[in-house]
Amino acid sequence: MSIDRIAAKVRDDERVNGAEALELYHHAPLPLLGTLADVVRVRKHPDGVVTYIIDRNVNYTNICVARCNFCAFYRPVGSGEGYVLGFEEVFKKIDETIALGGVQLLLQGGHNPDLPLEWYEDLFRAVKQRYPEFRLHALSPPEVIHLTRLSRLSVPEVIERLIAAGLDSIPGGGAEILVDRVRKLLNCYGKATADEWLDVMRHAHRAGLRTTATMMYGHVETIEDRLEHLLRLRDVQDESGGFTAFITWSYQPEHTELGGAEATGIEYLRMLALARIVLDNFPSLQASWVTQGGKVGQLSLAFGANDMGSVMIEENVVRAAGANYCMDEVEIVRNIENAGFIAKRRNMHYEILGDPFFRQQSVPRQLELAVARADGDTSRAPEIDRYAARSAAEKRLRASGGRRTTEQHG
Amino acid sequence: MEGMSAMSMEEAQELLAGRDLIAIGARGDDERRRRHGTRTTFVRVFEVHVDAVPRTFPATAEAGEIRVIGRPHSVDAAVAAVTRALTLAAGASVTAFSLADLVDLAAGRLPELFASLRAGGLELVAEAPIDMLQDAAGVIRMAHDAGLMVPRVTVHAGSTDPAELIGRIRDLQAAVGGIRAFAPLPRTSSIAHPSTGYDDVRLVATARLLADNIESIQVDWARYGPKLAQVALTMGADDVDSVSALQGDLGRRRSPLEEIKGNIKAAGLEPVERDGHYKVRA
Repeated sequence: MSIDRIAAKVRDDERVNGAEALELYHHAPLPLLGTLADVVRVRKHPDGVVTYIIDRNVNYTNICVARCNFCAFYRPVGSGEGYVLGFEEVFKKIDETIALGGVQLLLQGGHNPDLPLEWYEDLFRAVKQRYPEFRLHALSPPEVIHLTRLSRLSVPEVIERLIAAGLDSIPGGGAEILVDRVRKLLNCYGKATADEWLDVMRHAHRAGLRTTATMMYGHVETIEDRLEHLLRLRDVQDESGGFTAFITWSYQPEHTELGGAEATGIEYLRMLALARIVLDNFPSLQASWVTQGGKVGQLSLAFGANDMGSVMIEENVVRAAGANYCMDEVEIVRNIENAGFIAKRRNMHYEILGDPFFRQQSVPRQLELAVARADGDTSRAPEIDRYAARSAAEKRLRASGGRRTTEQHG
Repeated sequence: MEGMSAMSMEEAQELLAGRDLIAIGARGDDERRRRHGTRTTFVRVFEVHVDAVPRTFPATAEAGEIRVIGRPHSVDAAVAAVTRALTLAAGASVTAFSLADLVDLAAGRLPELFASLRAGGLELVAEAPIDMLQDAAGVIRMAHDAGLMVPRVTVHAGSTDPAELIGRIRDLQAAVGGIRAFAPLPRTSSIAHPSTGYDDVRLVATARLLADNIESIQVDWARYGPKLAQVALTMGADDVDSVSALQGDLGRRRSPLEEIKGNIKAAGLEPVERDGHYKVRA
């Protein structure tokens, strides 16, 4: 089918199939892709509103057994650079977030064998007891899978227990590319297969949770793989309608085992626009300014995005891989309005909370992101000792009274 | 070619305030392709400070332009830096100094300063920052009279009326000639309120359309970053300045040469390396 005919289908609100989407990606000029993506955006968001959320991206531990070769953030079990945040540290981060108008934590972390399901339940309950209105957007599908393995419970059972403890929604992390051939090459097949990732989302949606979906491209996959990823998400959304938003970003290669080069800004805009066209049943698409920078992040609003994501008070994962962009609420709102849109705060369900917080009360400018822990802080979270150690390294650490040995530094 | 797409100031102001970014970018790109097709030039620049010109060119570097930067504290220091840079050149063009710094240094004796620099071997002034020069045409004429070329006009801090600024550059070219490239994006930026992506793209596209008597619209790779610079190449710009001359620079695994070529090709364009004289490098 010709590009003109495919473009006409998009304009007429007809669904494009995989072959048509591939044709668009390979042959449509960038302005046409952007224009078509904008047609879809306007159809879904005719009010000219671009949303954002004030939250904090907290990584509760960097200790991980998954060992994905594209990740620069994780540390192996026993590493001297491994950490687990204490509950009080999390509370302090929540206090700081609320002071900036924040309404939730995006809480994700490594697959730490010494943190059982009960640790998460206790943390969630403690947060909800102190901050009843504060939302927990937490634990991507691979983390849920990891907890099923540790607890020997099913996915629905783990989700049910987490909801009972205070889980409000599930972030779409860990999707990478939902094609098992690619996942094996990325060494992330073991943490969750494509089917397992999608299955967690199906169960979450059945349990009444809303979730997001993501895609990390630009490593070993083909454009056909990216498209399969999008079509699988579209199918699940047709079934459940539980996805609120889709976020795509380019693989950040610095300091990773996989290495390589980052996909370019033009590739990002083409991919974003294609996703907006294909994912016709997703209400929202986020701009990934965290990986693309504020400028290309803002340009995303012309290529299908209707949401600027999070003010993101803290970020650790993509920073470890070389991306170090920062925008506070003032800057995000300035970028939205400069592009001709109306800026509104939202929650994770994409419900509008109101006008920019900084226009209601004075907040300090934030020109750099916070980190999980300050450099050199090797303090041990006091709660860990309440739970049985599973890893040999943790058992040795406890046997030595908390003193790390050279061997344990791994 | 020149004048075929002349745009009025009113149109330029409308474009700069426009919200349809894709339409604006497409207009800039149409004009850029009409002039240059997919050809996209870039230059690898080895910057040396006026007070610290190295004795030898690094073995791991490769440049089409050696650029002497910084404000010289004396005429002798300026000439000495140029002379030393020329000994490094090995086929690369040597450019030196901001015209605004030279005006300050000359203290009214600009012809003499230009003559000294020319006698020292300099052919190319590195940049003329339009918003820092009170009488840009007069100063450039003096440079030309001394045998110096001023091929690149830049913007230091920008303007509240960028259309007027671009129009001024068009008029400058009409008056003095010799301007080969115009870099419309400001070279300084506020940390608290940097320019936005929309601002930058609108400025590049408008510059391409309004400054119709200047051959190339230039974007700075190092200052604006690969992603924004790459997008600018699809919305009006055709020349990339300040690609690092140092192999393995930026802490990345790909060399700057691989990176710039890869980015230009990924934008559907054809990379062509040039030197500081805007001549294609073999």
